[in-house]
Amino acid sequence: MREGARVRGASGVTGAAWRMFAGGLAGGPTGGPAGAGEPPERDDLAPPRSTWQRGLSILKRDPLAVFGICVVVLLIVVAAFAPKLAPYPAMGEGRSSVSTRVSPPSKEFVLGTDRLGRDVLSRIIYGTRPALIAPLIVVLLAVAIGAPLGAIAGLMGGWVDEVVMRVCDLFLAFPSLLLAMAIVALQGPSLTNAVIALAVSWWPWYTRLVRGVALSLRHQAFVEAARALGASTPKIMLRHILPNSITPILVQASLDVGTVILATTGLAFIGLGSQPPAADWGLMIEDGRALLRTAWWTSTFPGLAIFISVLSFNLVGDALRDLFDPKEYR
Amino acid sequence: MTRAPSFVRFATLALMLALLGVVSAQSTTALRVASTAAVTTWDPSLSFSTEAVYMANIYEPLLWANATGSAEKFTPALATSWETSDDGLAWTFHLREGVKFHDGETLDADAVVRSIDRHRAIGGAAFIWAPVTDVVAVDDMTVRFDLAYPAPLDLIAASLYGAWIVSPAALDAAEADESYFEAGIGAGTGPYTLADYQPDAEVVLSAFPDYWGGWDEPGHFQNVVVSIVSDQVLQEQMLLAGEVDLALSLPPTSYASISADPRYAVQTVVTPFNYVGFLNTVRPPLDDVRVRQAISYAIPYDDIIAVGAEGLGTQGRGPVPQGIYPWSEEVPQYHYDPDKARQLLAEAGHEGGGFTLRLTYAAENAIERGFAPVLADALADIGIQVEIEPLLFNQQWAIAKADPAEAQDIFLLLYWPTYSDAGSDNLWSMFHSSDVPFFNLSYWRNSVFDDLVDRAIELTGTDRATAQALYVDAMTILVNDAAGLYFLDAGAWYAIPTYLSGFEYNINYPFATFFYPIRLAD
Amino acid sequence: MELLKFVSRRLAFSLLVLAGVATIVFALTRIIPSDPAALYLGPRARPAEIADIQKRFGFDRPLIEQYGQYMRGLARGDLGNSLATKRPVTQELGSRIAATLELMLAAMLLAVGIGIPLGVVSTSLRGSIGEALVRVTSVVGVSMPAFWLGLLLQLVFVHLLGWFPSAGRVDAGLRFVAPITTVTGLNLLDTLLTGNLTAFRDALVHIVLPAVTLAAYPIGLVTRMTRAAMLEVLSQDYIRTARAYGVSERRVLGRFALRNAVGPTLTVLGLTMAFMLTGTFYVEVIYAWPGLGSFTVRSFLNVDYPAILGMTLFGAAGYVLINLVVDASQALFDPRVRVA
Repeated sequence: MREGARVRGASGVTGAAWRMFAGGLAGGPTGGPAGAGEPPERDDLAPPRSTWQRGLSILKRDPLAVFGICVVVLLIVVAAFAPKLAPYPAMGEGRSSVSTRVSPPSKEFVLGTDRLGRDVLSRIIYGTRPALIAPLIVVLLAVAIGAPLGAIAGLMGGWVDEVVMRVCDLFLAFPSLLLAMAIVALQGPSLTNAVIALAVSWWPWYTRLVRGVALSLRHQAFVEAARALGASTPKIMLRHILPNSITPILVQASLDVGTVILATTGLAFIGLGSQPPAADWGLMIEDGRALLRTAWWTSTFPGLAIFISVLSFNLVGDALRDLFDPKEYR
Repeated sequence: MTRAPSFVRFATLALMLALLGVVSAQSTTALRVASTAAVTTWDPSLSFSTEAVYMANIYEPLLWANATGSAEKFTPALATSWETSDDGLAWTFHLREGVKFHDGETLDADAVVRSIDRHRAIGGAAFIWAPVTDVVAVDDMTVRFDLAYPAPLDLIAASLYGAWIVSPAALDAAEADESYFEAGIGAGTGPYTLADYQPDAEVVLSAFPDYWGGWDEPGHFQNVVVSIVSDQVLQEQMLLAGEVDLALSLPPTSYASISADPRYAVQTVVTPFNYVGFLNTVRPPLDDVRVRQAISYAIPYDDIIAVGAEGLGTQGRGPVPQGIYPWSEEVPQYHYDPDKARQLLAEAGHEGGGFTLRLTYAAENAIERGFAPVLADALADIGIQVEIEPLLFNQQWAIAKADPAEAQDIFLLLYWPTYSDAGSDNLWSMFHSSDVPFFNLSYWRNSVFDDLVDRAIELTGTDRATAQALYVDAMTILVNDAAGLYFLDAGAWYAIPTYLSGFEYNINYPFATFFYPIRLAD
Repeated sequence: MELLKFVSRRLAFSLLVLAGVATIVFALTRIIPSDPAALYLGPRARPAEIADIQKRFGFDRPLIEQYGQYMRGLARGDLGNSLATKRPVTQELGSRIAATLELMLAAMLLAVGIGIPLGVVSTSLRGSIGEALVRVTSVVGVSMPAFWLGLLLQLVFVHLLGWFPSAGRVDAGLRFVAPITTVTGLNLLDTLLTGNLTAFRDALVHIVLPAVTLAAYPIGLVTRMTRAAMLEVLSQDYIRTARAYGVSERRVLGRFALRNAVGPTLTVLGLTMAFMLTGTFYVEVIYAWPGLGSFTVRSFLNVDYPAILGMTLFGAAGYVLINLVVDASQALFDPRVRVA
C-alpha cells in the first residue's frame, strides 16, 4: 500500500502548521526526513519510566515548553474570566466610546484605544474567546468526521478503504487554506463559516491518522480475539481502535491549534472571518491598519497576542509529541 | 564554517540595497497617480462605475457642469452653445468646429446622434435619457433633442455616465463586435488617449497631440500612469514615500497628520455622497412614526461623523446631498436628544424599548463599517437592541428587494445622484412609492410626497425656482415622517504635493479627476 | 521505463483528482445566496437587465446542465469570464502568474539561502546551542502571522527608515525611464538579461520586503529539516568511517553529508512552493503585488465565482504538479520509490 508507506512531512511544530498549506504534499513516498525531527534520545540502559516521570524530565530540560504551558493556561483563564479581568468589560464586548478614540497607551488605557475609543487591552482579553474556541471546534469537528472514517477504512479494508482514502486524497489535493477561503467566500464571511470551512478541509488528516492506528492494531491479538468472539466492526472500532487513537489525536490536535488560530485570524484580516464588532485579533489588526503610522498600538498588540498564543500552543504541542512520541502510528 | 559567510553576504547585500534608496525624479514625462478605480468596462456606453476616472480624461460630453458657486453653470465642451425652446421640449446644441477623435475621425452631428442613440439603447445609465424621444442632426454641426416632457437636458448632457461622444468608426467596430472596447480601446476626443491597460494594476494615458484644447501651455504632463491600488493605507504609503504624485483615496484617519505635513497642500471638499438609513415602514415596530422619530432623535450625529468620516462631513438634511440641487437649508433636521427619544418610545407603547432591530450594511464600505457600532450603541442607550449584519452590497440589496415583510429593519446605504439632479434621482429613487422595491428600501408610501416630486421633476427644466420650492415641501414631509435616517453628507480630502498645481475637485464629477489641468508648479 | 510508467500513472491520477476538485468547487458555487447576475451588472442594475444576463450566462438553466457546460468548458481550457473584470479567467490568471512566480522564487531563494546554511551550521554547534538556535528559528517562523509581520516590516522599513518602497513591482514612472523588455515575465531576470540595471535595481528594492515576509515561515522549516537530515546522515556508518579515516570535518559535511541530504531537501523545496501558494495571499494584499494572490482575495471578497472556481482549480493544479515533480525527482534519485 502506498498510503501506508506515506509518512507525514515535517515533524513537530513544522509538521502541524505545515498541513494547513501543504495538504497532501507532505512527505514524498520515501518519507524524506519525515518523522526524524530530532533524533530520539537513546538511553537504552535507563529503566522504563512512567509518562509523568518522562513529562517532568522533558519540562526540566525544556524551559520553552514550560513557557508554552504557562501561556496556554493563562489564555484559558483569561478567556474564562474575561468579564472579570478586562478593565473595561463593556468596551471588550464592543461598546464604543467616541470621546476616548485613538488614545495612546496611558495609565487609564494600558495598551491605548482604537478607532472607536475602545480599550485595546479589554478587546484583546475578549479576543481570547474566539481565538481559543474556534480552533477547539475546528479540531473537534475534524476529529468527529475524520476519526470514525479512518477507523472504518482501516478495519474494513478493501473497497471501503479505497473509497475513503481516495476521497481523502481529493481533499488533500488542494491547499486547505484555499479550499477554506473558497467555502467562506461562497457561504458568506463569518467566524462560524470559517470554522466549518476549516473543519471541512481538515478532517482527512485525522482519517489518515486513525486509519494508521487501525491498520497497526488490526492484527494484534486482542483485536483478533474480539473478532473471533463475534464482535462487530462498530464495536471493535469503539472498544479498541478509538481509545487507542486518543493519544495520537491529542498530540496532533495540540499541534493544530496554533495553525488554526493563524488561519482564523488571517481569514478575519482579509475579511473572510469574524465580522465587526466582534473582538477578534485578526479583525483588530485589520481595523488598526489604517492607523499604523499614527497609532501603532492599535494593530501591534493584537498581532503580538496572536504570535505569543500560536507560539505557546506550538511549544506545548512539541512537548506533547516528545512525551508520547506517536511515531509508531505515522 | 563555510556557510556562515553567505549569510553575512546576504546581510551586506540587503544593507547595500537599502542605501540605494528608491528611485523618484519628477518631470513632466509622467504624472504618477494611485487610484482605487478598477475598470469594469471600457465601453463608453456601458460605463457606469469607477472607470469614470479614466473615461473623463479620454472622452468628452457636450457640456461640463461647473462646481457649485461658479459664475457659469456649464463649461462648453463639444458643444459651444445651446438653447432650449420655450416649452422646454426641444434642446439644440451647436458643435465645436475642428475637433478630432483619437482615431482621426472628425466630430460632427452624426457622431453625436449615433453616440447618444447607442447610450439610450444599451447604456448602463440609459435611464438618464428617459425624457428624450428623438435625437436629430439638424445640419452638419447642429443637433436637436426632442423631449416628451420638460427636463434639464443641460445637466443630463453633462452626465459622467452615458453622455460621452464616441468616434463613429469605433461605433461601427463595436456594432460588429460587442466587446470591441474591452481590449482597452479609447475613442474619444479628450486630452489623453488610452495607451496601456493592465487589469487591476495599471492604466496608462498619453497626451493626444491633436487635442482641441492644445498643449501649448507649459507644464502639462505627457503621460499619466494610474496604479490601481484598492487599499487606502497603501495609497497613503505610496504618496508619503514619493512613489506617486497623487493619491486619490487617502484614509480619513490620516487627515490630521498629512495636513500638518508641509510637503502637501490639503484640500477638503464637499462630495455628493450621502449616507442614509432606510427604516422598514411596513413592519412593526417601525411602522409607527413615533418609533421612527424616536430613533431619529437617538442618533449622536456628531459622533457618527467623527468616527465614520473623521469629522469630514456634515449632518444630512434629507436624502439630497449638500451642494447638489435641490438641497436646501429649509429642510428640517433631527438632533441628538435621547430623552425626547425615550419619551417618544413610551408614547408609542414601547416604554424603555425592549425590542430588537436588524441592521444591514455593505461590508465593503469602510465608513458604514466604522459608524454602525456607534449607531447600535446609541440605540442600546434607549433600550433598543441592534443586531448588526455586514453583507456584500449585492446580498444586502437582494434581501431588501425580496420581501419587505421579511427584510431588515434598518438598511444603511451610500447613495449619490447619477447626474447632478438629486431631485429626480435621490428623492424619486429612494422614497417615491413603488410596487416593486428597488432603491425605495423604506417601502414608504406617501401620495402627497409622490405628487410633489413628480411635479417638481417636470418643472426642473423650465422653472427651477418653483421646482425647488416643491422639493422643499416634499422633503419636509419626508423628514417629519422619519422614513429614513440622514446620517451625513460625506466630505473628502486631497493631499496635493506642493510641486503640482491645477488640481480641482468638481462635486458634479466625484469619481473623476481631470489630469489635463494638472501641471508642475514653477 | 519504470520511471515513465510511474510518472504516467501519477499523472492519470492527478487528472482524476482535478476533475474531482472541479466538481466540489462547482457544487459550492451553486449554493450561494447572492445573485450572480446582479453581481455581474453592478449595484444599479435593473431587474430586466438581470433577467437578461441570467439568460445569457445560463444561470436560469438546470444545475446539471450548467455543470455539463462548465466541465465541457474546462476540458477546452475555458474557465469562464470573471464577473468583475468580464475578461476570461484564464487570461486574468495568465497575466498575473509571472508576478507571483517571481515573488515565490525570491522568497524560496531567501529560505534556502538562509535555512540550509543555518541548518548545516547548527549541526556543527554540538549540544544545546545548535538545537536551541534551530528550534527558536523554526518555532518563531511558523508562529508568526504573515499579515502582521508584513505590517511591522512596512512600519519599520517604509515609514520609519524609508529604505524600501511600500507597494508594487516597479515604480510607476519606470516605464518612461527604463522600460522593461519582457522575456520571461520575471522582472529581475529580464532586466539582467537585457542589461537594464536601473530597472533591475528598482525591481529588486520592490521585491525585498514581500519576499522576506513570505520567506519567514519556510526559513524555519528549511532550517529544521536540514538539521534533521544532516544529523541522520551524520550518524550513518560511512560518515563515521570517513571521520575515522581522518577526512576533515569540512569535507565530511560538505562532500558526504550535504550531498546525501539532497533528497529530503527536494521535498522541502516542494513543500515550500506549496506553502507559498497560499502564503502569497496575505503578502500580495499587503504589498499590492499585482499577482495571483491579490486577485484571489479580491475575487473571494466579491464572490466573483468564475474567478473563485478558476483560482481554486488552478491552485489545486499547481499543487498536484509540484507533488508530481517532487515524487518524480525522488523516484529519479531513489529507485526504491518506483516499486512502492
